[in-house]
Amino acid sequence: MPPDTPAKTPDTAPQHVPILELLGVFLKLGILAIGGGVQAFMYRDLVEVKRWIDDKAYLTGLAIAQVLPGANPVNLALYFGLKLHGGLGATAAVLGMVVPAFCIILIMGYTYRQLAQFPATHFILLGVASVGVAATLSQGIKISQRIDRDWVTIGMALVTFAAVGVARLPMVPVVLVVVPASILLFYVMERRRAR
Amino acid sequence: MLDSRLIGLIVVFAPLSILSFGGGQAIVADIQYQTVEVHKWLTNSEFVDMFALSRAAPGPSTLISALIGWQVDGFPGALVAALAMYVPSSVVVYAAASWWQRSQASPLRIAIERGLAPVAIGLIFAGVVAVVQAAKMDWLGMVTLAACTAILYFTKFSSYRLLFIVGAVYGALLYSGLLGAG
Repeated sequence: MPPDTPAKTPDTAPQHVPILELLGVFLKLGILAIGGGVQAFMYRDLVEVKRWIDDKAYLTGLAIAQVLPGANPVNLALYFGLKLHGGLGATAAVLGMVVPAFCIILIMGYTYRQLAQFPATHFILLGVASVGVAATLSQGIKISQRIDRDWVTIGMALVTFAAVGVARLPMVPVVLVVVPASILLFYVMERRRAR
Repeated sequence: MLDSRLIGLIVVFAPLSILSFGGGQAIVADIQYQTVEVHKWLTNSEFVDMFALSRAAPGPSTLISALIGWQVDGFPGALVAALAMYVPSSVVVYAAASWWQRSQASPLRIAIERGLAPVAIGLIFAGVVAVVQAAKMDWLGMVTLAACTAILYFTKFSSYRLLFIVGAVYGALLYSGLLGAG
């Protein structure tokens, strides 16, 4: 984050990137991001390739999209569309994400019985799913290296991972406990530093 | 204007939209209950097929609503079910996001931003574990995962191109007879 921005303007103020470029990114995501790694593909496009959003803003958007109701990819599209081009950007991003996928799934529903007869369908889908997981994993490693290294951040990330990933507790109650606790800790720290 | 089947779709999916905290996973069980047990729009095995399809297709898995809507009332059903699934939650997210993006820098805002980040990171890694376990990855899956992670981590190679290369390699392996359809 540039040192002169954070105190004055929220880093999430609308930026007005070209709307067609924005639509293109989300159309591509809506059509091609198969195998479950939608948000990792989005990270690669928005943060690494286009550099429209930095790591911190991406993580905030990701957490908000996951905490609020609704499909995560749609929520993410809405959040970043709004951030990158206001209401029009949000509309374009959500439509880009949903409309092609809507058409494709209906066509797949129509042809599924034929496709399901080929064992290759399932096998190739497994390969595709590995790429989705790989995208998520490499994104996780990269973000972990760039994020603040204070003990609260590391501790809260580990607690969340242990609860949801290892103990397999349901995500919603875990988030409802961890998010307020984490925010409260940082709030106390901010207050102390301000004094 | 709307016939009773379309209204039925709205009544089923709109409340679930608002309740889908944590995404589609949270409401799958209830979609099954409402559409199979209560409304008897489809059989259990049809539901399982649609669930598998919704995972294999691009886009959010909650597009299963479109498949169910199609089954109930053709294209209008698919459209109405998808709208009922996305409009209510999107209104909530839009309101929250525009409030958040307009709010001024304050200790609370900084605390929220810093407090949310580790939770998002924890969930990213938890997601990796969940998919690896659910897909019951064998050695080939693990090798693919390791190779693709390295490529995406160390290079700027397009993730979409990688997706298609892996799909093509898997298809070639299968048809060359090197590996069975496991």
